[in-house]
Amino acid sequence: MDPNASSIPATARAATATVKLRLTRVTKVFESGGQRVEALQPIDLEVSEGEFVVLFGPSGCGKSTLLNMIAGFEEPTSGEITLEGQPVTEPGSDRLMLFQEHALFPWLRVIDNVTYGLRWEPGYRFRPRRRREKAMELLRLVHLEEFAKSPVHELSGGMKQRVALARALAPDPKVLLVDEPFPALDALVRAKLYTELQDILVRTRKTIVSVTHDPREAACLGDRVIVFTGRPGSIKAELTVELPRPRDINDPKVAECAGIIAKQLEEENNETIPGEKI
Amino acid sequence: MRPSPEKKYRGIVLVFYLALIALWQTLFSLQLIPDYLFPSPLQVARRLWELGSDGMLWPSMQATLLRMAVGFSIAAGIGLLTGLLMGMSRIVNRCLKSLFLGLQTLPTAAWAPISLLLFGLSERGIYFVIIMSSLAAVAIATSDGILQIPPLYLRAARTLGTPGYAMPLRVILPAALPGIVTGIKLGWTLGWHGAVSAELIKSSVGLGYLLYMGRELNDAAQVLGIMVLTILFGLLLDRFLFAQIEHRIRRRWGLLQAA
Repeated sequence: MDPNASSIPATARAATATVKLRLTRVTKVFESGGQRVEALQPIDLEVSEGEFVVLFGPSGCGKSTLLNMIAGFEEPTSGEITLEGQPVTEPGSDRLMLFQEHALFPWLRVIDNVTYGLRWEPGYRFRPRRRREKAMELLRLVHLEEFAKSPVHELSGGMKQRVALARALAPDPKVLLVDEPFPALDALVRAKLYTELQDILVRTRKTIVSVTHDPREAACLGDRVIVFTGRPGSIKAELTVELPRPRDINDPKVAECAGIIAKQLEEENNETIPGEKI
Repeated sequence: MRPSPEKKYRGIVLVFYLALIALWQTLFSLQLIPDYLFPSPLQVARRLWELGSDGMLWPSMQATLLRMAVGFSIAAGIGLLTGLLMGMSRIVNRCLKSLFLGLQTLPTAAWAPISLLLFGLSERGIYFVIIMSSLAAVAIATSDGILQIPPLYLRAARTLGTPGYAMPLRVILPAALPGIVTGIKLGWTLGWHGAVSAELIKSSVGLGYLLYMGRELNDAAQVLGIMVLTILFGLLLDRFLFAQIEHRIRRRWGLLQAA
């Protein structure tokens, strides 16, 4: 790994578990109108099975670009991304992305949204009843089983995001990618969703990579927080959060941890703009 | 559900139409134009009633509707398919869009002469006019609807593992449905124009034929009556069928704020 990346040693679990996702010298350069904009300097990252890794950094630091490349929406300019040793080439349900907005299909009922991705999964092809059973199981997990037959537009924002989570879990992705989860929801609903997400995590042992610019969210959700610096993006630090789960976003310990995470970026600011702050 | 401004307007609209009929009646009473050329509302209504009880009206409406059902189904099918190709391929879109926009500037009645030459006085000729009148509107609205699909839906579909061959039916067409319905609505109206225009010159049954008959017999009451009937019929379908469907879809697709 990048020698200056790790400020706190990784947990024993992360060190011994098998590597699920591996990024090797991944870079991204955008070209627009003859201008080359370097979005990401070479990134090395390993994500172990069952680990929740949060990519944290200011907006424009390339963390979302990195997530898009893992999902297969964008291609790295150089370097390689592998999932269980297989190179990533295109989007697919083994690296399923959960978006900022729920992105549910309005032409389908709640249950049909959840079964949608199963249609092309081995073991579920041409087996609608099995798909439905799996979907109901997941709707129970997010406590929405009584809304299975509702059209999507009748649900509240928080409920839609929970359906989106159930839909994303249905094809049993090897890695779940989460792009700034739940920013459009009010604080109360968000706190509840964090708790639920962690609860589901503990139960399903999903490997998750998520992106955020909110240090509290990073502290509340992550096993490991990767701190990114601004343009061009690179890994500035790597922190392990060892608070017990489920974590409450309003817990002082989470807040303290969030402070440490946020501090990483302040130091960065002091370096780039010397003498402006103490 | 909703408070009453809608209802209040409804009352005003009713008064407006009553006033319009009163104005018509007043103009008639002034006798500026001889009454065989400019009949009163009552005469028109009576003529419509006569046509109805003579068994002329219902078969004509049926005939026109049936032609529309057949012709427009074909037009909508071809339009959807063409629109899908236009929405998915930039080159096809570039080529066909200007052609279809051009065709749309043509008045629907202008298809009647060529139809007469090609198909003579046959039923197929009327279908031809209906199809040519409505095809372009459906195709353009479908392709525009596809081009306006929020990219998020396409990204979601891809990350959920949708294979390329399943995209048109599972995602692209349903996501474009609000635009498609608007196109179907417009296409139906244009097809309706085309159907009546075609019947004017080459038919022995239908609303257009009754208009033609009225002119032949110098029966202004019949001409005006059929015109009013055609308007009412079109309005009924537009307001109470297509507009309802459109509203429901737009609400469901989150394009309207929920009431």
